[in-house]
Amino acid sequence: MRSKNIILLKTLWQSTSQFNILRHSKDKSKRGKVIGNLVGMAVLYIMLMAFCIATCIGYGEMGIISEAPVLCALTISVLALILTFFKTNGYLFNFKEYDMLMALPFEAKTVAACKFLYMYLKSLPWYLCISVAMLVGYAVYEKPAVLVYPIWIVLALILPIIPMLAAAFIGFLIAKVSSGFKKKNIVQSLLLIAITMVAIFSRFFIESMFRNGKVEEVLTNYSALTDRVSGYYPPAKWFANAVNNASWLDFLLLVGVSAILFELIFIAVGRSYRKLNSSFKSHAAGRKYRMGAQRQRGVLNAIAFKEFKRMTGSSTYMVNTIIGDIILLIGGIIVLFINVDDLIKTITYDSPLTKEMICPAIPLIAYFMSGMVATTACTPSLEGKNYWILQSLPITKKDIYRGKMLFNMYLEVPFTVFGIICFSISARASFISTVLYLIFGLALCMFSTAWGCVCGVKHIKLEWENEVEVVKQGTALTLYLLPNMFVTMILIGLIVFLGTKMSGDLVVTILTVIALALALLSYMRVMKLAEKNRY
Amino acid sequence: MGNNAMLEIKGYTKKYSEDKKAADNVCLTVESGDIYGFIGHNGAGKSTTIRAVVGVLDFDEGEILIDGHSVKTEPLECKKITAYIPDNPDLYENLTGIQYLNFIADIFGIDSAEREERIKKYADMLEITDALGDMIASYSHGMKQKVAIISALIDEPKLLVLDEPFVGLDPKAAFTLKQIMHEMCEKGTAVFFSTHVLDVAEKLCNKVAIIKQGKIIASGTMQELTGGQSLEEVFLEVV
Repeated sequence: MRSKNIILLKTLWQSTSQFNILRHSKDKSKRGKVIGNLVGMAVLYIMLMAFCIATCIGYGEMGIISEAPVLCALTISVLALILTFFKTNGYLFNFKEYDMLMALPFEAKTVAACKFLYMYLKSLPWYLCISVAMLVGYAVYEKPAVLVYPIWIVLALILPIIPMLAAAFIGFLIAKVSSGFKKKNIVQSLLLIAITMVAIFSRFFIESMFRNGKVEEVLTNYSALTDRVSGYYPPAKWFANAVNNASWLDFLLLVGVSAILFELIFIAVGRSYRKLNSSFKSHAAGRKYRMGAQRQRGVLNAIAFKEFKRMTGSSTYMVNTIIGDIILLIGGIIVLFINVDDLIKTITYDSPLTKEMICPAIPLIAYFMSGMVATTACTPSLEGKNYWILQSLPITKKDIYRGKMLFNMYLEVPFTVFGIICFSISARASFISTVLYLIFGLALCMFSTAWGCVCGVKHIKLEWENEVEVVKQGTALTLYLLPNMFVTMILIGLIVFLGTKMSGDLVVTILTVIALALALLSYMRVMKLAEKNRY
Repeated sequence: MGNNAMLEIKGYTKKYSEDKKAADNVCLTVESGDIYGFIGHNGAGKSTTIRAVVGVLDFDEGEILIDGHSVKTEPLECKKITAYIPDNPDLYENLTGIQYLNFIADIFGIDSAEREERIKKYADMLEITDALGDMIASYSHGMKQKVAIISALIDEPKLLVLDEPFVGLDPKAAFTLKQIMHEMCEKGTAVFFSTHVLDVAEKLCNKVAIIKQGKIIASGTMQELTGGQSLEEVFLEVV
């Protein structure tokens, strides 16, 4: 029985493994793409490891390297929780090969557990990068006993399991609640977004509790911080104790609790697994349509509408796409009712920044949220098996991509405009400045749309088993998202700095011109790619 | 029946590698008003040829012309007059049937009144009108096939290309589809379809081509090919 589970896990792994393509595909361009993807991932892993080692060096230089294990445990746990929370729906429920797997002689619990372990294995390189890099940093400064190394590595492999189980269980509960509704995907998306919002705002609340009550203690006594955090999350404490004090009890606690929770959760999930998936797989058919007048749309709007329906039809895709927009929407409303200077102080840890200094960065702040994910980076790949439809229609690749870009603009622009207007009102920006911010915001949306499309078309991947591979892990999205996020953050800092040296409006105008030029270049690149890839 | 070439395949070759050819020097001509059957074993190269004809698959050598337009150099002109129904219609599952049909009609620029009339006509014939408001995800294979058929007919194409069109259709719908194919031929449309069902090909087609391991091994009018034998007997003899 055990070997059967391993076969299932191995097959799940092989079905999406890049190495499998590399080994068996005879298509040179496909193999080239796989190698490119692997190199890209390796670069990201190296960047992550460098960041972790740099953090450890900082801790080491400050003489608090003993806190590194807790930091390592918390980083891995938070990452595992977030990654799993947004992936559970696509991996555990409502996946394509459900019928095929459930028709085989496997218990429902086994299928669910194997899917979970598959999800764990897929994310493992990220966790290992963090743990190995931090172990290196820790070893350099702490020079621990030899035994610490295997303990650290083994426990680092176990660490993600508890947060992943927690996230999977929340995902399971959300799936259970939403399965009772007719519009399951919409309900599921709303619940996921609501929980994310609660998590984001709780973070600020908890942070403010720390800062208001124990600022001195936190800043001067790192042990207090460790105890406080460990108090909230015991597995981090068990990991730290096992590593720092070579405590076998804590080692066994972490391993044991992870194993027991795994068994318990999959007994619970297994009981409703078939029912839940049946509910997601079956769709109510009313059969009561009466033919009436039909509405004609232009070609681009027809494609944009199709894209809209694609988005609302998948909770994974929808949550991933609109989470930034929703944060911006809520943030925009909130800033209308609170003192912006207080907000700036809270977010920037009591820095001397004022709303006047922040003002020129308003469009970038709004864009940071609304432009976080561009649908254009995912939609070319999301066509998947449906690609034949567009390929066989009398429509150019250019128009297909224009339609996809139009949808992203429809989605991104209203939220960006709303956010900029709210922030400008709240920061008492002048009318002229607000207009400039709006133009800059629109230029950023254009850039995000076109650049997303470049990434989406250049790294199109039509053969996927699960849309999570495109929406969460796709090369196209990663290449869009990470540089976009970091560059925006850097630009926010730069624009605030430049705004103190020269007119803020002038800085915004210069950046608008640059954004428009980049948008135009990206658009031209998309059109070039459309000409090149006829099929 | 036939009077002018609607589909000409000249020396079409599709290679998967230097020594593996999915289609090797395929030549055939489908004229207006023809119902042309394309038969062969699984993996013989039928779908590969069909996918190249409709502009979904690139190919290495040869030329494919639709109403005189090259699939390689004038793909849009070709697609404007061609309709394709694949063997496994993977449609947009998040759209309702009517939304999908409107999407196709929008791409072809068909006005509201005309699309309403055509959708109604074919949806009634295929008995799927009442399900058009439901999500495609809720459809059976046969229902998806029916929606794909309506979407192919919505623009009244000059060339209708079908890959195993009768698989998954109920007997009544299969009969209706044959009726539609005949109707379209009478209007001058050329129909080119692949099938495994030799009885259907024999009764429906006026021309047939048999493909084996990527090569056409027999082709011509039904009369020329069978010469009094059944198509099944001829097929088993040559393959």
